[in-house]
Amino acid sequence: MPPQPRLNAVAFVSPQNHPILIRTFAQPRQDELKYHYIAHTSLDVIEERIASAQAAKSTECYLSLLYTMEDVAVYGYVTPLRVKIILALALTDAVVRDIDVIAIFKAMHTAYHLSVANPFLKVNMPLESVNDHAAMLSAGSAKWKAFRQRVDDVGRVMGASIPSSTSNASTQSH
Amino acid sequence: MSNQGVLVTYSSSREFLATDHWKQVWAALLCQFPLRTLVWRGPGRSSQSTQTIQDLNVRIAPLESVKQEHTSQVPQTLLEKPLLNLYFVVCEDNETYKNTIKKQIRDWHTIISQRKYQEWLIVHIVRPEGRAAQQRMFQMKTSVLDKIKADFNLDKKDRCVQLVWASDFENPAAWAEFITKLKEGILAAFDSAFTQREAEMKRSEGQIQMPGWNFCTFFILKESLAISLEGINLFEDALEQYNELEAAFFKVVRDRNLSWFGSLIDPDPEDDSAPLLSTTRKPYRDLILGNTISIFDFRIYLLARQCILLSKLGRVAEICRRSEKFLTNFGRRLRELEDTLPEFFIESWIYSSALSVADTCDTWVSAVNLSKASQARYSALKGELMELAQQQLDIIGIRTGHLPSRPPFSIALSAPASRTTQSQRKSQTISRQELLAAISDRDALFDLYVTITNRAIEYYASAGRRKFAIKLHGNLAALDVVRDRLSSAFDTYKNLPAHYAPHGWTSLESFMRMQALSIHTSTEQAKDADWAHIVVDFLKAYVEDMGAELLMDVDDHKAYVTGLIESLRHAAAELQADMLYPDHPALSVTMAESEARLAQDQDGALLEVTVRNQLPCNLPVDEIVAVLAGHEGAQLTFSARVSSIQPGSTRLTLFCPSSTPGMFALQSSQVKMSRVVFERKEAKLAALSKTTRPKDLPALVRIPKDHHAVDVRLRPPKRIELGTPAYMTVSLQTGRNDISVATLRLVSPSGVQFHCQEAAIDEGGDNATLEAADDAIILRDVGKRQIVTVAVPHSDASSYHTLRVNVSIEYTTVTEPNLSRKLNIARFVATSLPITTNVEDFFRGTRLFSLFTLSTTSHQHVRIRSAELKPSRQDADSVSVVSCQSQKPDIVTVTPAQSGQFLFQLDTVRGKARDPMKLHITYRMLREEVESFINAAVAEIVADDPSLLPHRELLIDRLVEALSKSVDWIELYGVTGELVVPGNLSENSELASAFARLKEILGKPRPLNSSFDEWRDIIIPVDIPQMHILAAAQLRIFANPFSQQPSGQALPLFAGQPISAVVTVTTSFHWAPSEDAEMAQYLLRYDIQDMTGDWLVSGPKRGDFSAEDGSTFSSPVTLIALHHGELSLPKVMVNALPLPGKQRMRTSVIPSCETYQLHGAEKVMVLPRGGRTTYVVDMGREAIPA
Repeated sequence: MPPQPRLNAVAFVSPQNHPILIRTFAQPRQDELKYHYIAHTSLDVIEERIASAQAAKSTECYLSLLYTMEDVAVYGYVTPLRVKIILALALTDAVVRDIDVIAIFKAMHTAYHLSVANPFLKVNMPLESVNDHAAMLSAGSAKWKAFRQRVDDVGRVMGASIPSSTSNASTQSH
Repeated sequence: MSNQGVLVTYSSSREFLATDHWKQVWAALLCQFPLRTLVWRGPGRSSQSTQTIQDLNVRIAPLESVKQEHTSQVPQTLLEKPLLNLYFVVCEDNETYKNTIKKQIRDWHTIISQRKYQEWLIVHIVRPEGRAAQQRMFQMKTSVLDKIKADFNLDKKDRCVQLVWASDFENPAAWAEFITKLKEGILAAFDSAFTQREAEMKRSEGQIQMPGWNFCTFFILKESLAISLEGINLFEDALEQYNELEAAFFKVVRDRNLSWFGSLIDPDPEDDSAPLLSTTRKPYRDLILGNTISIFDFRIYLLARQCILLSKLGRVAEICRRSEKFLTNFGRRLRELEDTLPEFFIESWIYSSALSVADTCDTWVSAVNLSKASQARYSALKGELMELAQQQLDIIGIRTGHLPSRPPFSIALSAPASRTTQSQRKSQTISRQELLAAISDRDALFDLYVTITNRAIEYYASAGRRKFAIKLHGNLAALDVVRDRLSSAFDTYKNLPAHYAPHGWTSLESFMRMQALSIHTSTEQAKDADWAHIVVDFLKAYVEDMGAELLMDVDDHKAYVTGLIESLRHAAAELQADMLYPDHPALSVTMAESEARLAQDQDGALLEVTVRNQLPCNLPVDEIVAVLAGHEGAQLTFSARVSSIQPGSTRLTLFCPSSTPGMFALQSSQVKMSRVVFERKEAKLAALSKTTRPKDLPALVRIPKDHHAVDVRLRPPKRIELGTPAYMTVSLQTGRNDISVATLRLVSPSGVQFHCQEAAIDEGGDNATLEAADDAIILRDVGKRQIVTVAVPHSDASSYHTLRVNVSIEYTTVTEPNLSRKLNIARFVATSLPITTNVEDFFRGTRLFSLFTLSTTSHQHVRIRSAELKPSRQDADSVSVVSCQSQKPDIVTVTPAQSGQFLFQLDTVRGKARDPMKLHITYRMLREEVESFINAAVAEIVADDPSLLPHRELLIDRLVEALSKSVDWIELYGVTGELVVPGNLSENSELASAFARLKEILGKPRPLNSSFDEWRDIIIPVDIPQMHILAAAQLRIFANPFSQQPSGQALPLFAGQPISAVVTVTTSFHWAPSEDAEMAQYLLRYDIQDMTGDWLVSGPKRGDFSAEDGSTFSSPVTLIALHHGELSLPKVMVNALPLPGKQRMRTSVIPSCETYQLHGAEKVMVLPRGGRTTYVVDMGREAIPA
C-alpha cells in the first residue's frame, strides 16, 4: 500500500466562483495566502477542463491533476451541481493514484452534501434565490461551523494536522 | 535510430545488375517509397486492434553490404537487420532459367532462408510482349514464373511476384502487386521479429522477483521494442512502451531496489543549465547498460524520449505538462539531498529546464498546426513553466537575501528543511550564467524576475488564464515594493482588489488592500481620499470574512483594525469632500420599535434604532442619521450625535426636530464619521413584489401627532367679498414653542399664486410682527400658545373646489436659537363658496321685490344668521331697502334638502345711476359651529382645572372624532342646541371625569342665538336690475261700451253675452337705465291672450301703440264668455317693438320690457244664460184624521 498523499488544503468554490470554504491544513500560517491563491487560480484551469469535458460530452466529476507548484499538486473536482472542490496535496516523487485522490474528493463532496442538506440554511433567504447555491452559501458563511467540522474530519482522517487556530478563529467570529 | 525506416536487401545476377535496364528499375523502385498505409495487426494483441502505419521509409541496399553478425549482445532495434530480401530475375526463357538462373536463385535462397526473422521475395521482371507471348503459349508450357514458384515457393505463402516492365513503368497499377507483396513481406518479418522480442521481454518481466534480474537490462530490452515501433512510425505504441517503463521504474522505486543505478544524482558541471529534452547530451544508453546511470540522468532520458515521441505526435502541450510535472516531482526528490549538491543546483536546474522545455517546444510546435483550444492550452502550460522558473527565482532571492521571506515570495519556499552542515557541499557551482549574475547582483535578479514573470503573464494572457495573470501581477507589485518602486506597487495593489471582490474572494481582496495600506504607511503619504477608500474597503472585506480566514501577517487583528480606524478618523476630518460609502457591511442601522415617541418637552419625535457595529473595536463616529420616507415624498431626518459605537449592537435614540405625524418607512441610514459617510439605502419601496419575503419588507414606523407642536392651518377668510381679491387666512399655532422667527412658504401645486407681500396679520399674536418677503411670510416673536392668523391674498382659485397648499415652515425658538426646524405640511382649503344665491326680481312701479334663495353647495349644513341687502353708500338716500324677513327664527339652517329664502323690497328714485347693492350674508358651517362650541366647552373646563391644559387638543380631537362618527345628534342640536355626544369617550380613565364634564356642558339646552365664536360673512354684490319699459296691463269690464268708469259693482255676466271691456296699458320708464333716460317714447305692441276655452275676444285684440313715461293707453274690446263659471280674465301681453333706425350688430335693438297684469288675480263670475227650470214642490198631504 503506497503512502497516502498528504492533504495540505481544500477549497470549496460555488458554481458562481464564490469561495465557500478554504481550509488549510498545512502548518505555517502564512501559507494561507498561497492556498487562497491556489484555489483562485485553479478556477481558470477548472474552467478549461470543464470546457473540454463538455466538448467531449464527458460527465466525469474528477478533473485529475490541474497543475503542480513547487511543492503542491492541485487536483480538481466538479460536483454535478457545479460546486468545485480543489485539493492541494503535498507533492511527492511517487505516483499518486487517481483512485486515492477521488476517494478524498468523494469524502469532501459528502461533507459538503451533508452540510448543504441542512434545511435551516434556507431560513433567512430571499424566496427567489432558494435554488441559488451561492446565495445559500453566503447565508451560511461564517456561521457554517458544521461544514467546517466535517471538512476537518476528513482532513484528520487524511492525517493532516488540524490547525489549532480553528478554535481561535471560531471564537473570534462573532 | 537516425536511419529511419526498414531495411530491405536486393540481389540479382551480376549481369543484370550491370545493365541499364536494372538502373531504370532501380530508379523506378526508389520512387515507390515511402510505402503508404501499412496495416499491422498490432504488437501481440488481439486481431481486432490493427495499427495503421501511415507511411514507412524503406532503405534498400545490396545484400552484400549488410553485415550479418551481431556486433554486441545488447538488444538493438529490430530494424537494424533487413526485414526483407529481394531477388530480381529477368528471364523469359525456360531454358535459360533451367540452366543458369535457377542456380543463381538457389544460391541466394540458401543464404537468405537461414536468416531468422527475415522474409524473401523473388521479383520476376517481364516485358509486356513477353507476357503476351506467355499467354499465347499458355496451353503448351509453363511460364518461367511458374517454374520459379515451383522451385522455391514451397509453402503456401506466395513469395514470387511478377513485375511487368512496360514503358509506362510509373503507372502505379504496374507496381501494385509488387508493393503489396513488399508490404506483406516486411510486416510478416517485423511481426515475427517483434513477437519474438516481446516474448523475450515478457520473460524478463516475469523474472523481476528472481535474483540476478536487472532493471537496466530489462529497460534496454523493452526500449528496443519502443525504438522499433518508433522506427516504423508507430509513435503511439512506442510511447506506450516508455510509459510502461516509467511505471515499472516507479514500481522498482517503491520497492526501494535501486541497486542497478548509480547514485541518485552525480551532477556534471553543465547539468543544471543543459537543455532538458535532449537524448544525445550524454551517452545515456551506454550508462544504462553499464548500470552506472544516475537516477537523475535516467529520469531525464526517459522524459526526453517520451517528449520526443510526443513531439512527433504533435502533442506539445502534453510535453509541457509532463515536463512540469517531472520538474516539480523530481525537484522534490532532489531536495532530499540538496545539501550534497552545489548551491542552487536544483533551482538552476529547474529554471533552465523550464525555459529550455518552453523553447524546445516552440521549435517543435512550429511544424504543427494547433487548433485554437490546444494553442490556448499550450500557452497556459508554457505559462506554468515560466511560473515555475519564476518560483525558482523566488527561492534564490530569499536564500540570498535579495527578497524578503514573506508572501508572495515565500509561497514557493516549502517548509524549511532541516539544514545540515555545509561541509558536504561540493565546491562545484552552478553554470547558468544569468542565475550566477542574479545571485551576486540584486538588480540582475530583479530584472530577470520581471522578465520571466512578464513572459508568464503574457502566456497566461494568451491562454485566457486571467486569474493566474492577476496573481503574477500581485507578485510584480510585491517585487516593486522590494525595489522601492512604491508608487507603482501602490497602484497595482489598489487595482487588484477589483479582480477579487466581485466573486467574494475577500481574503485575497483584503490581502491586496492591506499591502496597499502598508505601502501607504511606509511612504508616509498624506492620508487622502484614496487612502480612506482603501481602508473602508479593507474594513468591508475584514467584516465580511470575519477575520478567521483573513490573510493578515499581523498578530493582533484587533489592534491593527483599531489603529486603522483611528487614523481613518483623522483622515476623515481632513478630507476635502464628503466620501459616501454605500452599503458598508460593518455598520447597519435598524429600527428598534415600530412607533416613534414624541419628545414631549420640545417639538419633534424620538426614534429608537439599533446600530450594529461588526468591527472588533469601537468605531468613532460623529452622527447617526436615519431618513424616513412617508406619504407623498415626505422625508424626515432623524439624527443623533454620538462619539463612538461599540462593537455589537447599540441602541440609540435619534431625534428629529421637525416631525409630522403619519406612517413612515425607513429609507436610508447614514453613519457619519467626519466626512466619511457610511450610507445604507433600504430596498426601493416600489420594487416590492409578491415574492418579497416579510424580512425584506420596509421597516415601518408610526409617528404620533404632537398636539403641542407648531402647526399651521389654512382657512377661507372670515369675510368673503366677491369681486375683491381673494385671500385666505393662515393661522400659525405655536403650541409649546416661543418662536423667535417663523418663515412660512405657501405653494399651491395647482398654480395659484400667493401674494405674500400683501399679507397682513389678521388677529392674535400679542407682540408678533409680520415681515413680508417676496415668497414667504416671516413672523417674529410669537409667544407660546398663541395663534397668529395672517391673511394672505392669492390669485383667483374659484375654478377649484378645494385648493391644496403645500406649506413649508421653518422656525426657530427662543430656547434653541441655533436649531432651525422645518416642516412640510400639505393643507387643503375650500375655495368654493359654501352657499349659492339665486335672485328673482319683481317690478311694481317704483318698487322692486327681490327674492334671494340661498342653498348649500355641499352636503354640509349651513347656519345663516342674517342676510341683509344694503345699497351702496352713494345710493343710501335714493334707494331704500326693506327686508321682508320676519325676525323669527333668527337662525336659518340651510340643508341640502331645504334652501333658505330672503325677500327684500326696494324703492328707488328714478334716473339715478345706481351702484350695485351688496347682499351681506352672515353664516357659518354647522361643523365649525360645533367645533367652536366644543372649543368653548373645553376652554371652560380647562379654566376650571388647569391641569387639563396639556390635554386640551386631545379632548377636542376625541370629541370631534366621536361626533363625526354619527349623525344622530344633528337634528336635536338644530332644534334645541343640545349637543349630545354619542359613544363612550372615557376609556382613558385619566380623562374620564373631564369627558363626563364636557358631555354635561355640551348637553345643556341653549338658546339658538347664543353667540359663541364668530360668524363668517359673505358679501355678494347685487346689481339693481334695469328695465326700459315697465308696463302695467289691465283688462277692465265695463257695464256698457260707453260708460267711462268701470262698473263699481259686480255686474251680472252671462255666458254667451257680450261683455264690454277696456285694455289699459300704463307704461313707466322708472327702471330705465340711466344712459337711455333721454328716450321719450317707445313703440309697444299689446296682445290679448287667447283663452279659446273660456273667452271669445272681439275687437282690436292686438295693437301697436306709442308709450311714454307715465302714459296710459287704452283700447276697448268685447269679450264673450263661452261658458259659465268663475273665470279669470285673459292676460294682456305687452312687447316692445324694435327701435326704428337703430341697429346694433345688424339686429334691431329691442328695449327691455316687462309687463305685469294688474288684473292677474281677478276672476269674474259668469252666470249661465236664461232658460227654464222646473222645480217639483211638495204640495202637502191630506189632513191627518183626527
